[in-house]
Amino acid sequence: MNMLNNIIINGMIFALPLFIMAVGGIYSERSGVTNLALEGLQGFGAFTGALVAYSLTGYFGSESSVPVYFAMIFAMLGGMLFSLLHAVLCNYFKANMVISGVVINILAMALTTFLTKTINKNVFGAASDKFVLGIMKRFSVPGLSEIPVLGAFFTNMYMFEIVIVILAFITWYLLYKSSFGLHLRAAGDNPAAVDAAGVDVIKVRYIAVMISGALSGLAGICFAYSISAKFSSDIYMGFGYLSIAALIFGGWKIMPTLGACLIFGFARSAGYQLVQKIGLPSAYSDLVMILPYVLTLVMLIFLAGNSQAPKALGEAYDKSKR
Amino acid sequence: MNRKNDRIIVAIIAVLLGILAGAVIILILGKNPLSVYYSLLRGSGLAPKAKYAGGKNMLSDFSNFLDFITSMIFAALAVAVALKTGLFNIGVSGQMLVGGFIATVLIGYSGLPAFGAKPLVILVAAAGGGVIGALIGFLKYRFNINEVVSSIMLNYIASYITGFLINTRYVDPQTRQSKDINAAACLTLHEVRIGSAKYDIPLGFILAVIVIFAVAFLFDKTVFGFELKAVGLNREAARYMGINVRKSMVVSMLISGLLAGIAGATYYLGYITTIQPKVLPSIGFDAIAVCLVGGSSPIGIFFSAFFLMIISKGSTYMSSQMGLEAEISSVIMGLILLTCACSTFILPLMYKFRSRKEKGEVKA
Repeated sequence: MNMLNNIIINGMIFALPLFIMAVGGIYSERSGVTNLALEGLQGFGAFTGALVAYSLTGYFGSESSVPVYFAMIFAMLGGMLFSLLHAVLCNYFKANMVISGVVINILAMALTTFLTKTINKNVFGAASDKFVLGIMKRFSVPGLSEIPVLGAFFTNMYMFEIVIVILAFITWYLLYKSSFGLHLRAAGDNPAAVDAAGVDVIKVRYIAVMISGALSGLAGICFAYSISAKFSSDIYMGFGYLSIAALIFGGWKIMPTLGACLIFGFARSAGYQLVQKIGLPSAYSDLVMILPYVLTLVMLIFLAGNSQAPKALGEAYDKSKR
Repeated sequence: MNRKNDRIIVAIIAVLLGILAGAVIILILGKNPLSVYYSLLRGSGLAPKAKYAGGKNMLSDFSNFLDFITSMIFAALAVAVALKTGLFNIGVSGQMLVGGFIATVLIGYSGLPAFGAKPLVILVAAAGGGVIGALIGFLKYRFNINEVVSSIMLNYIASYITGFLINTRYVDPQTRQSKDINAAACLTLHEVRIGSAKYDIPLGFILAVIVIFAVAFLFDKTVFGFELKAVGLNREAARYMGINVRKSMVVSMLISGLLAGIAGATYYLGYITTIQPKVLPSIGFDAIAVCLVGGSSPIGIFFSAFFLMIISKGSTYMSSQMGLEAEISSVIMGLILLTCACSTFILPLMYKFRSRKEKGEVKA
């Protein structure tokens, strides 16, 4: 029983950030911009968020939860700022979107590792390759958490889980029910028609990529808090690519993507619980670590050619070809 | 001027822009970019250092540098072969690790004599990398799985599984890395004394030069290479021509994996002699930069590997001399990559500029 609770609690903590990052990916890709840069965006967002939180902890004290809120806001801003690079490369320079995404990832990794070391040395006067974050407080929803089994979904929650759920509703509404969402989805399927309707395709794509940057940044700082309570180059664990796999599996739709992310989350936490239960040496947890990656491949195999990718995905919009 | 020259000019512009952007960052941090870049040259054995430890001189540093770029040449060729066929092999790191690991376990620890062990190391590592590469190609061919996603997944799987095996079986408790391989299996002759200094003689470098010409021959002179290129340029047109597009993709990934495996052999059983568990070699990612700067051409890759690796190789020495974090080198590499990704933009700009100039000349 206790084991099931832990699987649900830890599974949700991993699945929700993964999901919100995938939602960002959906925004970008439905608008027609292939976004393999999620990995780098979440890393850069986590970096800016952690930097702000780390600087503020001295001011507010380690007990305060104010730095956490600032961290989340600045992580979103940082991710958004860095995503502009991808947007400019894809829309203005008309670079190959796949290459651009990978380049952004490599640059983000190099830049954040370098800046973390340099800032630690020059500003905080300590030789360190990480920013240690405070502990994010956890809580249980009174009443709801008492329900058997399902109560685990409301037990020991991080504050960010609430934020992500709220954002998920907003982004779902925006994508499927607003006229902006309609333009965005059309920009990925038939940009010429959107242009003919008098909507600026490039502008829509810029906004879409920036939304994906902000959501990735949020996911990044959530991972930084929940997995290791610090920012270091360990943040680049390939979760960005996992969320891409999730959105491909979800057919570029928000609800099925949530399902895929939950499968990842629960598989991962179940694996850890299993290792603990059997009492295997810690080296064996490395074998559990490969579970999400293997699962991704297996899930993609079952998807087998049945992908409903946006029709104009990966093509820079060229007005003259209309 | 033909298009080939244009591409070389674009590559040089991209590299210069990247270096310039790096210089700006260095300036902001209050260091002199010129002396930073000069100490990179010194660290790679291309400029004399102020003083040398015993048994070292500029030439021995340079021999070590050649040893380093050997792996890079193979890795970048691996990226290039896939890219020519329109596939993006970002899994070179994982393929290097798998090839290097299998060769280490099977041959590196075996105690075979040198004349048998050295060729076997290359063959086994190539096979290991090739299997992974072919698997990525197969997943693309059979299930239409994006090769970037599948190769990243395989990177992590490879890194955790080899890490697990090293930690449970082959670990050296002192260094926390895999045990040293036997000298007989090593592709680099380490610290060979010639005169007063010790040199590292990279046997793989000779092979790298041969493979450069082999790959160039494959793409420029053979029907098979032409088919691979055709698939990369326009899949639909290639299919119309009667080329088996999907088979070409698998074979291209197989060759790419083979080359990545050899890169792993020359790195893990040459340049260094151990494997650090759970760490993917950064060479596999830098290889993308080397390949793009080299315009995916084998000869281009040789020169771009030579110039770009100065930045990587010299960074440790530069860091100790200038007090700047060594990671600045990967930042500069990232910036060069960024400008290279924009090269599709630079080229038309150049044509525009040229045609405007030509018109001007006609008037005059």
